Amino acid sequence: MSVLTLPSTREEAWRWSDLSGLEALSAAHATGVAADLDSHWIGDGPRLLFVDGRLDAGRSRPGPVTVGTVDAASTHPLARLAGGDGWTLAVHKDGATPPGAIEIVHVATGGASHVPARIVMAEDAQASIVETYVGDGWANRLTRIELGRSARLMRAIRLVQGSGFTSLRDEAVLGAGASLVTTILGAGAGGSRLDAFVTLDGAGAYAEHGGALLARDSQRHDAAVVVRHAEPEGTSRQLWRAVADDQATTSMAARVEVARDAQKTDGEQSLRGLMLKRTATVNLKPELEIFADDVKCAHGATVGELDAQALFYMTSRGITPDRARALLTQAFIADALSRIGDEPVRDAFQAAAEAWLEERI
Amino acid sequence: MSDVRNKAAFDAAARASNYEWGFTTDIEQDFAPKGLSEETVRFISAKKGEPEWMLDWRLKAYRHWLTMTPPDWAKLDVPPIDYQDAYYYAEPKAKKALGSLDEVDPEILKVYEKLGIPIEEQKVLAGVEGARKVAVDAVFDSVSVATTFRAELEKAGVIFRSISEAIRDYPELVRKWLGKVVPMHDNYFAALNCAVFSDGTFVYIPEGVRCPMELSTYFRINAENTGQFERTLIVADKGSHVSYLEGCTAPMRDENQLHAAVVELVALDDAEIKYSTVQNWYPGDAEGRGGIYNFVTKRALCQGRNSKVSWTQVETGSAITWKYPSCVLAGENSVGEFYSVAVTNNRQQADTGTKMIHLGKGSRSTIVSKGISAGRSDNTYRGLVRVAPTAEGARNFTQCDSLLLGDRCGAHTVPYIEVKNPSAQIEHEATTSKISDDQLFYAMSRGLDQEASVALIVNGFAKEVLQQLPMEFAVEAQKLLGISLEGSVG
Repeated sequence: MSVLTLPSTREEAWRWSDLSGLEALSAAHATGVAADLDSHWIGDGPRLLFVDGRLDAGRSRPGPVTVGTVDAASTHPLARLAGGDGWTLAVHKDGATPPGAIEIVHVATGGASHVPARIVMAEDAQASIVETYVGDGWANRLTRIELGRSARLMRAIRLVQGSGFTSLRDEAVLGAGASLVTTILGAGAGGSRLDAFVTLDGAGAYAEHGGALLARDSQRHDAAVVVRHAEPEGTSRQLWRAVADDQATTSMAARVEVARDAQKTDGEQSLRGLMLKRTATVNLKPELEIFADDVKCAHGATVGELDAQALFYMTSRGITPDRARALLTQAFIADALSRIGDEPVRDAFQAAAEAWLEERI
Repeated sequence: MSDVRNKAAFDAAARASNYEWGFTTDIEQDFAPKGLSEETVRFISAKKGEPEWMLDWRLKAYRHWLTMTPPDWAKLDVPPIDYQDAYYYAEPKAKKALGSLDEVDPEILKVYEKLGIPIEEQKVLAGVEGARKVAVDAVFDSVSVATTFRAELEKAGVIFRSISEAIRDYPELVRKWLGKVVPMHDNYFAALNCAVFSDGTFVYIPEGVRCPMELSTYFRINAENTGQFERTLIVADKGSHVSYLEGCTAPMRDENQLHAAVVELVALDDAEIKYSTVQNWYPGDAEGRGGIYNFVTKRALCQGRNSKVSWTQVETGSAITWKYPSCVLAGENSVGEFYSVAVTNNRQQADTGTKMIHLGKGSRSTIVSKGISAGRSDNTYRGLVRVAPTAEGARNFTQCDSLLLGDRCGAHTVPYIEVKNPSAQIEHEATTSKISDDQLFYAMSRGLDQEASVALIVNGFAKEVLQQLPMEFAVEAQKLLGISLEGSVG
């Protein structure tokens, strides 16, 4: 692989990122040995297993998903590396994926894998996709999403890598009345950069993009999301909850852009950071860029520590301080995870978050 | 309907933009050669009779500036600036060392008259008996020509000088603080300013002194093609208090003029500095031709315990504004405040906000920013709140409101929040709105006509900031907001 050209922190969009480890991760070799993965499957629907970016056909049953060359390209500094083979999901008009979610597990056994994906949904189609990232390498992904009129897509993404780095880039275009809900849980031990550019390109489209990011040790999670309202009457929600422990850093840069014609836009951002140690860092940037005059855009951002009174109350009831902290942290991120509509998926995500908190105890 | 409804606001904004205060005055100038080189820097320094260390400092800044590139992160569209196509020094050939006001160049007095801002300073210059005492250090094209009330101030121990005089008379004091808050390598425009600053103001308030009057400076950019590089340094010693007013208007010219000022404030233990600005430089015409580029670096160091710095600004002028008055809250329980109203119209661009750097325990900051965009302008709030690990119990409250008048303008909010101490309490709120039908309906149902209603609402929108201004400035600010609101403010 050619020498990486990575953006530097001097660039405004990357000032909180730490990509210094990527060079080494790229140079490392994949072992190709994926351990037992059964615990990562949630339901019995279609499933795909990618080991270091390649489909493990033996352990997959792709259902409606096709694997092969993907027609997707991006100018994004990381996502442009993702070319060639990947997966495609196309859902025809009024179609729906089988009950339950399509599950995709990405295992990295070391080294770097760059995989593009494309999701195309025709009018009134609906689908639900769950992606899980495990392993130790650098998983770099580009996902192109095109939603036709009134199409509905639910995505849930879980980062539970043991180490390494996950960089995701979503580029989504929503037609009139289409709905895209993306929820991300960062509960692994690897770093991440979560990029998204969502364009509401039809009247009355709805986009939700958010999640919970948990970081400890010297881990870094970095989310950078842009939701662009290009047409009137769109609604968008960006709800992020970030927890930073030890020397960890979690950063969330969320932007709402409202184009000249996008009147009656309703955009909302809620960014909240929780610091569990004084050595941790939380960075927030709730950004608004507004060119229309009849819009409702609000953002709220707060950073703080756990409420001392609540902690005291719980310990006075016989709950150990560690347990009390874990419970309060769980409550703090609950908002973000409750956006997952599918109950088994939501339960699995909550379990992953709980596991992260348990480890702390 | 909404067109009709907003008409009053548009008219008001148009009045503000039509720049009633544009004119030029001809006074002989002693120019430095056109262009920027080490020679220019040496010329300025020699002209000012500066000591060796100042020249060295300027040259160092100039050499560093050559290695830098202009910042491009702001949401601004800045045409390329030819730094060689400007004069860096112009001094009016006026009489030196004025004994009394009668000796002030009548041309200059006329300028003040034309400013049409009949606030207390005017009376002072006109010699009106019983006028409220306001000290005016007028910067007329780079060099202070009139400094009034110096004696009275010096009785109180306050040093209020042009910075070149201060370098001559109080070299140690100036040397101690100059460039401490905004180092020469801080940014592109600050470095440029260090190299070529022509004049400015120096204020020192000694320990325990409450400055007996409000200090005020009028900035004027007068000579064609003369860049203005002002340098202001205010040091408030322990337990002192000072309120400083800065107001600006400029003649109408069809050329772009660069203004790259640096303002440094230092507050020691228990000291308080209040710095108010009304900025009404020529914003360019309706098509965006001409207008001032206002690239200013303003920063305060709250070094002492319980020190406080409060920035208040009303920004209505300039074609492009790049300005972030900031506070470094190093002292324990130090307080930083930033109140801002920024109005943009026609093709104006403003990228303005603040930085609050919390270093000291229990430091607190408040940010209230009101952006009003009209015409085809862009108005951006860009702010940083940073809490260092040492800033135990730091608190910040930020409120950014934007008001859009019309559908061709833009309002943007770019707040950065960086927290490294969990005991910090950081709150950020922002809204973007237009004048709501409900508000208008209510005001009109009380018998106000539409224009008065809109004026009332716009003024109400900015009131939190306007009431922070000293009275005479508040009056001017309202005028500059282009809204006729009779009677009570504050």
